[in-house]
Amino acid sequence: MAARVVKVARPQPMTRRWTPLLVGLGVAIAHFFRNLLGFARGRQDFTVYFPEQRFVQPPAMRGMPVLVQMPNGKERCVACGLCEFACPTNCITIFPAETASEVERYPEVFDIDMSRCMFCGLCEEACPEEAIVMSRQVEIACYSRRGSLWHKQDLLVPEAELKPRLDYLRPQYARK
Amino acid sequence: MAKTVHVTVDGRTIEAAEGAPLLQAMLDAGIHIPHYCYHPKLTIDGSCRFCQVRIEGIPKLQISCNTPVRDGMVVKTDDPEVHTVRRGVIELLLLNHPLDCPICDKAGECWLQNYSMEFGAREGRTIDPRRKRGKRLDIGERMLLDQERCILCRRCVRFCNEITKTGELHIFTLGDHSKLDIYDDARLDNPYSMNTADICPVGALETKDFHHKIRVWFLEETASVCPSCANGCNIMISAYRNRIWRLVPRRNDEVNDTWMCDAGRLNYRFVADPERLRAPLVDGAPATWNEALDRAAGALGDFRKRQGGSALGAIVSPHLTNEENFRFGELIHALGVQQVAMAVKRGPADDFLIKAEKAANARGVRELRIVQGDDDGIEALLGAIESGMVKGLYLCGDDLLETVPADRLERILAQLELLIVQTLRPNPRFARAAVIFPTTTFAEKDGTFTNHAGRVQRIRKALETPAGWLNDGEIFTALLNAIDARGASFALDRVWGEMARDGNVFSALDFNEIGPRGMQLAAAGK
Repeated sequence: MAARVVKVARPQPMTRRWTPLLVGLGVAIAHFFRNLLGFARGRQDFTVYFPEQRFVQPPAMRGMPVLVQMPNGKERCVACGLCEFACPTNCITIFPAETASEVERYPEVFDIDMSRCMFCGLCEEACPEEAIVMSRQVEIACYSRRGSLWHKQDLLVPEAELKPRLDYLRPQYARK
Repeated sequence: MAKTVHVTVDGRTIEAAEGAPLLQAMLDAGIHIPHYCYHPKLTIDGSCRFCQVRIEGIPKLQISCNTPVRDGMVVKTDDPEVHTVRRGVIELLLLNHPLDCPICDKAGECWLQNYSMEFGAREGRTIDPRRKRGKRLDIGERMLLDQERCILCRRCVRFCNEITKTGELHIFTLGDHSKLDIYDDARLDNPYSMNTADICPVGALETKDFHHKIRVWFLEETASVCPSCANGCNIMISAYRNRIWRLVPRRNDEVNDTWMCDAGRLNYRFVADPERLRAPLVDGAPATWNEALDRAAGALGDFRKRQGGSALGAIVSPHLTNEENFRFGELIHALGVQQVAMAVKRGPADDFLIKAEKAANARGVRELRIVQGDDDGIEALLGAIESGMVKGLYLCGDDLLETVPADRLERILAQLELLIVQTLRPNPRFARAAVIFPTTTFAEKDGTFTNHAGRVQRIRKALETPAGWLNDGEIFTALLNAIDARGASFALDRVWGEMARDGNVFSALDFNEIGPRGMQLAAAGK
């Protein structure tokens, strides 16, 4: 393929150094007066008044990982250990055990150390069962390190609540 | 000895023994040929059809496992037809495979997984539902069978027919209906049954012991030797989170081929026994290592001064390594001990792998000439204690508890004035012991064991011990230094240097040259 030369019009460097300062100040002042007049005329503001109001995050948002709870109350996880292996921060601890049900295996212990978790979503990507997904929950601050260790019962979230994320994920990973 | 011939594989000339399976010759030369049913220690079955290659002069592809090597053979493995066959075989095997890898314990070391990643199609073409078969069938004391996962390679069937000659497993019915199962009147309970889980290339046969325990990719493997009997089967210790999760056999044609017995395989729980002694006991109370060593050295020194070394007896443990027992020999020599014995627990044996002596290193103790006599001097020592000649005892290991009748042992231990014990678990019988040191298991130290046939084999440290922990050899060395002021160390190559100077049978071997297969002692022994 022959090379093609394109001349690009580069902006000329500013000759006077205080010009951009004035331009920026102008923008700020303009916004100030526009808002002042806007509020006087009853315009809505964009600020979300947390915690009374909550911003609803889009499904692509990666919050803390949670376990999908099936309608029968059980976790979907079969303790295959792929998330534990995929996790770059080693924050997941699983002890599998046997059950009488058809899937044979379930996690007897499923702990996530949220103080280590970096919300990367690799566990969700590794999971073959759609059992661990990233929720929209990010408000997980706590007063002790022990409090940031989440056990299986704390991590279970009903499937219906996670529907937006699951619907978003399926085309992402070409799942049927 | 078969004649060495030359075979050309994909333009490369390899050497092979005439008549050997072509597949084995290619594998030995490092050529990757996928295969399921072929196993070097079993007869050839040819049921998986995966190892097919093109051989010049033969119109159709040939299975390389059942093709004997001939001189001048020209083999092609990188052939369009070979690739088609491999894709076809993997598609056929995956037709009815349940693909429940997330709950299958074989996942991670499964040959079907590996080969389907290598040769398989991404999507299945079949629209028929997968065949339903028995899952989690309880076919034996220690084994589970999943018929859906089985790919009918018949390795396990051949193992039961040829190696154990018990023949419990069989492929029933024909064609698409074929399934692996046990006969109605025979469960898979032979003493080697768990080997079928090792040779199963998929997760059809699983051990109950390892069922749903841990994923294999977390396991860290250490080459070692089974401590459960005098045969010294070569094993891999699979550990994770500083705990043993399973023992699997490691190939050594001189000792155990690729097998091990179920009893040995399951005998690892004692390492993580919650009752195990975690710190030394001085007069029955927990103490620091230094306190215990001071007390033991002081008590031994006092006893020698008051009664003389000949009033002290010693019992050597056949569970300790050659190096540790060599050091113990030096220690008791320095103390002037005359009466030395070894207690070895005995159990059932067979003529394959299981040996009667349930300890790994009894032969090593005899080769070091620490003990004498047919019963390893145990009767003489016990008699000397009963007659009052011996009043102190340094006891290593707890095999004595199971070899001497309880009431006699009680009497003997009550007669002693000084008792120092190295043991795994605290025992009420040792209540009068001045010092009890915790002993270190095979998985927590380095060293060598000598098996019943005089093969010296390396064991390696797979688990970490707590900070400040001393293994048995280090305890002996510390006591020797305290009593004799020698400044000895328990670095293994230094111990071997001392052993070489000592002029015993081990001096003919070089520690650093003991490879994964071990080294045979010269016939001088016994």
